[in-house]
Amino acid sequence: MQWLQGTALAAAVAEVWFPRVECLHVIAMAMLAGTIFIVDTRLLGLTSREHSFRYLSERLLPWTWVAFTVSVLTGSLMFMSNATGYYGNSAFRLKMLLLVLAGLNMLYFQFVTFRGVAAWDHGHPPVRARLAGLASVGIWCTVIASGRWIGFSL
Amino acid sequence: MTIVAFNHWLAATTFSQFIQRTHGAIALIQILHIICLATLFALALSLALRLSGRGLASETLASLARRFVPAIWICLSLLLLTGSLLIVAEPYRTLNNLAFYVKMVLVIVASLLTVRIGALARNRAEVVSLPRTAVATLYMLIWCGIIIAGRLIAYR
Repeated sequence: MQWLQGTALAAAVAEVWFPRVECLHVIAMAMLAGTIFIVDTRLLGLTSREHSFRYLSERLLPWTWVAFTVSVLTGSLMFMSNATGYYGNSAFRLKMLLLVLAGLNMLYFQFVTFRGVAAWDHGHPPVRARLAGLASVGIWCTVIASGRWIGFSL
Repeated sequence: MTIVAFNHWLAATTFSQFIQRTHGAIALIQILHIICLATLFALALSLALRLSGRGLASETLASLARRFVPAIWICLSLLLLTGSLLIVAEPYRTLNNLAFYVKMVLVIVASLLTVRIGALARNRAEVVSLPRTAVATLYMLIWCGIIIAGRLIAYR
């Protein structure tokens, strides 16, 4: 961690670029979480029932992936600038764990629940799909909370 | 009364003291503020994409606006509520800060653009034009500006 923090790039972020990188990170986070909330509330059968689930997710998830990529890049730069501090921070570790959980939830949904999507694409999603949506909303709200808590605990 | 004197008075009120002394209260209000902001940002993005002929193109602009514009107003109301609580809790952090006032001006501009987009949607013309794409682009740039100004409040 100390090696990473001592690199020229890490120093540049820490001394000059951190506010700009952080602003980009927050914009990316807003797009990431917001688009996920719209897709998940459809999965819960609460909103956008005019559209099939596949149509809505195909239209919005590319933006989710762009936002996720920017979040990872900017988050990595922020981490580098104070690697030892973030690594030892419990809120940061919780956020990373939650991101893994979000990924696992998404993978399970994609490779198991989504296989039967033709049966519920236009109608009310089954319980498993709704649970995946609820879990996703809960996980991403907690990601936001732990991310904000890093600032209070670092 | 000067801004400084007003900050002193506000920070000394019972309500402000209650928020300041309740462990985690400011953090919780900020977290709710950010969750509302993320929701609003995605709603605005969907509306802007549709206005420029992209996104949820199988739904008419009028229909999408009927669903998303009220949701944007709800999110904005929650943001103003949580934002007001943050001002009450930490007046020195906001009311003495240029970034805060820039953010408020941008919020007013974004609100006026939301009204304009709602009006464009109501005329029911499914026209994709350069002016509409420009409005959609400006709309998203303003929301990005609001996020940036909001984050920069912490860097006074």
